[in-house]
Amino acid sequence: MRWLASERVFRLIPFVLVEALFVVAILVPFALTIWISLLKWRANRPFETARFSGLENYEAVLSSDQFWLALGRTFYFAGVAVAIELVVGFMLAMLVSRCTRSRKLYTTVFLIPMMIVPIVVGYNFSMIYVDSGPLNQLLAPFLDRLGIDPRIRWLSHPVAAQWAIIIADVWQWTSLTFLIFLSGFAALPPQLINAARVMGATPWQIFWRIELPLLKPAIVIAIIIRSMEALKLFDPVVLLTFGGPGTSTQTVAYFLWEQVWVFNKFSFGAAASILLLIIFSLLIFMGVYMLVSHRRAVEGATS
Amino acid sequence: MSRPPDTGTSLAAEAARARKRRRERSRRVTRHALLIAWTGFIAFPIFWMISTSFKDAGEWVAWPPHWLPHAPTLHNYAQIFAFGALDPTLSRQATEQAFTIWKGLGDAVLVCTSASLFALLLGTFLAYAISRFNVGGKYFRHTILMIRMIPPIVVAISILIYYAIIVPYVTSALFGVRISLFDTYVGLVLIYTVTTLPFVIWMMLTFIDEVPYTLEHAARLMGAGRVTVIRRVVLPLVASGMVVTFLFVFILNWAEFLLALTLTHPEVTTLTVLLNKFQSASEGRLYGPQAAIGTVVTIPVVILGLLIQKHLVKGFSFGTIRK
Repeated sequence: MRWLASERVFRLIPFVLVEALFVVAILVPFALTIWISLLKWRANRPFETARFSGLENYEAVLSSDQFWLALGRTFYFAGVAVAIELVVGFMLAMLVSRCTRSRKLYTTVFLIPMMIVPIVVGYNFSMIYVDSGPLNQLLAPFLDRLGIDPRIRWLSHPVAAQWAIIIADVWQWTSLTFLIFLSGFAALPPQLINAARVMGATPWQIFWRIELPLLKPAIVIAIIIRSMEALKLFDPVVLLTFGGPGTSTQTVAYFLWEQVWVFNKFSFGAAASILLLIIFSLLIFMGVYMLVSHRRAVEGATS
Repeated sequence: MSRPPDTGTSLAAEAARARKRRRERSRRVTRHALLIAWTGFIAFPIFWMISTSFKDAGEWVAWPPHWLPHAPTLHNYAQIFAFGALDPTLSRQATEQAFTIWKGLGDAVLVCTSASLFALLLGTFLAYAISRFNVGGKYFRHTILMIRMIPPIVVAISILIYYAIIVPYVTSALFGVRISLFDTYVGLVLIYTVTTLPFVIWMMLTFIDEVPYTLEHAARLMGAGRVTVIRRVVLPLVASGMVVTFLFVFILNWAEFLLALTLTHPEVTTLTVLLNKFQSASEGRLYGPQAAIGTVVTIPVVILGLLIQKHLVKGFSFGTIRK
């Protein structure tokens, strides 16, 4: 066993283990997915009957309106939800960072949504949006005056259902942007702000000229992390709308799930997932690059 | 040189101070009003779930809705925690499905605990190797991060093909038995381990980077072996970090839905899948028991989450923000 502890071998043991795991569980399945995507085959037929079909599946995906619409919808949801989360999270962090005594209490409360299982969040909102739910009761006085039956089925209306999903996402993930911005505010150097105040800067100037530029790395990090996660949107869609009404809330993850697990179109799903990965990989690459460079900026500022 | 009368300035200053104080107070009031409004927005869905979990069938979707159960009951909890065959008094209608939480709870605890432990073990040692020896080259950390950012549905499709088709095909060709990893504990634990490894590595890196290398160096000079140094010097110093990382990853696995939904059915059922089962119309929506399951699922993770509150941002931001 002595050779295991020797300098050269020792450092490679965990590396080799983890790499082997990644190869077995990510790389091999991935290579197989590429191969499956080149076959003409449905899951309800035996695998042996599959035959090579070239890029047919890729053509099918690229010419499928559903795929592009789902992709566009995913970006739309992510864009709107992340924008709201950033603005609200920033404002909450700013307000809480001005508090003194109640600061800890607010922080703890605002963190809770992040820890709640997304599927439970979906369930909770499905209860709130239900036609005889509390949301309609709160709106009832206004709706009655307008002569509308207050028992609205929010999730049956395409646009309302989209906003229902966005609101559920905002409810849960504003806590993360809040947390990121709060630590950003905590790291602001007080000497700089005091100096500016002494020199007669207005609060407005202090905010735009000093605080905001110093918070830029935190903002970039929040944007990247939240957008990467928001583009994976799946759980609330399943819980709230099943992609409906029609296809108005189908995100790309839901679309692929339906194609493979409901319609058994394996080759189509494989081709679509490869295309999705290609489309996303540019984003992922950019995201990681920016994360890492801003991480360096944050470290340089604090150390 | 004449000085302005003293009383005048002090009066003006007094007025200015009062004005400032008033402005300060109104600002504080608006601040708390906004923050309390957001607290209400956050609390409401949780309150509604807990309230529903104590309502009996007639009150679930009554109009106008009951904010608090008029006749509070533990019926929903009794139903999900029932042992053995369902007591006929517990099902409200003959058609109602008997379901308890035990299978889902057991599977979730088993899968999440073992996957988090494996990931923690592998991830900690790899993080150590990365931190100390720069194993894998300069960009290895970033490669790991990219793996995490792949959408899970892409992973799910390739893993499904792998587990359900390729592995049985290969094993039947090699050993004559079809072994499928689809819908097995091993399969789910394996994929959970892989998907959470990047989190473990990044979180542990932030903890291990903080352990001064000189300490290890000193121990080595005093004649301790590599393994002893890790066991006696490094591990005790990062032990609390390991606990935090374990809890964080456990919460992630506990909340995971997509992979559990797609890679298991019907044998292995985690809690998230169980909850979803009763959302679809085919099984009949049982709002009350669902709310009870939701409450039971939520409470432990919120407690765990609050325990590691300080470190959450570290985990979610991959150590890009340290607090």
